[in-house]
Amino acid sequence: MSFLTAKKAIDYILTSSLFFGRQKAVILDFIGGEPLLEVELIDKICDYFKLQTYKKGHKWFNAYRINLTTNGLNYHTRKVRKFIEKNITHLSITITIDGNEIKHDLNRVYKNSGKGSYKNVLKNIPLWLQDFKDIGTKVTISSADIPYIKESVLHLYSLGIHEVNINVVFEDVWQPGDDKRFEDQLMQLADAIIDGEYYKDFACSFFSEQIGKPLDPELENQNWCGAGKMLSVDAAGNFYPCTRFAAYSLREKRPIIIGNVHDGIDKNKLRPFLTLDRTTQSPAKCLECEVASGCAWCQGENYDAADTPTIYQRATAICLMHKARVRANNYYWNRLFRKLELEGEREHWEDNKPQSNEIIC
Amino acid sequence: MLQYMIILLDDTSTSFCHYETTKTERNLISLDNLRKAIRLAMIENVTAQMVYPAYELPQEYYEVINTIDHSDIAPLEQKNENSDVIVLKDWQYNPPKGCVAVVRATLAALLEHGEVVNEWLKTVARLNVVITDVDTFTDDDQKQYADFLQKLGKGVEQLFMNGLSPQLNLLTDRMMLTSMNNCGAGDTCITLAPNGKFYICPAFYYENPDDNVGDLEQGINIPNKQLYKLGYAPICRECDSWHCKRCVWLNRKLTLEVNTPSHEQCVMAHTERNASRQLMVSIREKGIFLPDKELIPEIDYLDPFNKIKK
Repeated sequence: MSFLTAKKAIDYILTSSLFFGRQKAVILDFIGGEPLLEVELIDKICDYFKLQTYKKGHKWFNAYRINLTTNGLNYHTRKVRKFIEKNITHLSITITIDGNEIKHDLNRVYKNSGKGSYKNVLKNIPLWLQDFKDIGTKVTISSADIPYIKESVLHLYSLGIHEVNINVVFEDVWQPGDDKRFEDQLMQLADAIIDGEYYKDFACSFFSEQIGKPLDPELENQNWCGAGKMLSVDAAGNFYPCTRFAAYSLREKRPIIIGNVHDGIDKNKLRPFLTLDRTTQSPAKCLECEVASGCAWCQGENYDAADTPTIYQRATAICLMHKARVRANNYYWNRLFRKLELEGEREHWEDNKPQSNEIIC
Repeated sequence: MLQYMIILLDDTSTSFCHYETTKTERNLISLDNLRKAIRLAMIENVTAQMVYPAYELPQEYYEVINTIDHSDIAPLEQKNENSDVIVLKDWQYNPPKGCVAVVRATLAALLEHGEVVNEWLKTVARLNVVITDVDTFTDDDQKQYADFLQKLGKGVEQLFMNGLSPQLNLLTDRMMLTSMNNCGAGDTCITLAPNGKFYICPAFYYENPDDNVGDLEQGINIPNKQLYKLGYAPICRECDSWHCKRCVWLNRKLTLEVNTPSHEQCVMAHTERNASRQLMVSIREKGIFLPDKELIPEIDYLDPFNKIKK
């Protein structure tokens, strides 16, 4: 992205009441490729944002966050350190370390050598945790990753990462028997967390008290995904309801461009996103599902996998995986609560339990 | 449930709705396809609606068409005593007395010819005005359109006072309805093009002939068919502009989703709805009028999207 395009994007969001008028604060989220390759450009963009909010007396002056998700390889470099020190009070950086070495290197390799990046990422984890003490990491699970789930979560805990936000990918990658293997891994993880008493200080988003219940079609009808309530800008200055609708994220469909930095947002193209609800896009089996709560979806994947170019057809590739998760989740909470009750610790734990976030993108 | 099959008899068949007939070369449906379409309409128990071009068909076509109970939509040039709907392409030629007429016009042309509309309403059984540039409807247009409909309403009111029962889609449909009554493309209505393939509506054919939903050999297969139904349209199912065309082609063109109307379509329909309400109030001040119908409620929005997102 050129700085000129970035400036135009900032100018637009600072003056557009259509999209941002009601928001008390804003998050500037930089994703790549690898954003830290362009940390100087990011710094310049952030400076422009700060300067403009100050000049305009904008409500977002001092009401903003800068988010970065990085592979962590350049985290220790001088220019990155300088950026972090300068922006630390408004900054969150997530390093995507995917678990133990085997699991991480299954997905994250150097382009030329094909060698895994785990060892080099690991070097920067202590520095990262020193900068962001309570930060969590984000892990995604695909079919080949299933055997390494338990070890990966425990490994991340051992590194000092207290919050592991983890979810299965929404794409239709699953093989017959994956749900059973997934359930087995989660059961083992449940036992390890309980027996090792990790539940006192560590969180893993696979286990949630809220999931696995039927949903009311009227009272619990909200959309899961935030697409359309955020704005994504590409290097050319095109706007998307989420980066998942850009050409580079799609397999089958044409991108959904909802405007650009020159002309602004086409409000008509936002309407379908802002009126989406659960029941309208879900097939009957989801509406009738007795363990529906916590079963997520990604609007971009729904669109990409749909029979027609629509965001109103929910993809259900994770159906069996969600049901497997619910069974292991039930086991986890039944076992944990029984243990806490027998030890007289339930009330204390409830008051002090670690939190995890259901972050799916 | 499918109720109507629109059969475009030729690539140059007249447009009777928002889309333009973009093909200029004659391409008549084959007699074989026409027979197959008629047979399918009988099997599926749907009403066939024949759409004619502006030239006379070979005699054998009329003979085949007459093998099924059907309705005819024809341009003024090809009207006959059996034409159910006559499409006028400009304001110069008066529609035949007692007919159901369609006039397609830009908003600017409509605003200019308001007097003609009032004159025609004295003689036709019904007049459908189709505005062809909904997508460019602005806030300024809305004000002008509201003023225009108010003036038009005075003429329509006078016709009622004179004992006539004028029918004008823009003003009288909403008063008569008790629920949504829309075009039904993809839900109650399907279109057969001269190439023997099915389309959601004629507009989908003219926009992209590859965008078909089946053919006479394989039958009709509409993917995501539910999205053409009212219950799957989050904005429309909350709306009471029951006369709105709810044009799924315009929806897709402007919002990229067949089930989501554009702001412009909603505002236009609500401007008509409110004018219809005003007309109803005004007539009722002078006597009993549609006593079995509820007065259209007063509302404070022109786009139901704003109601949903409050």
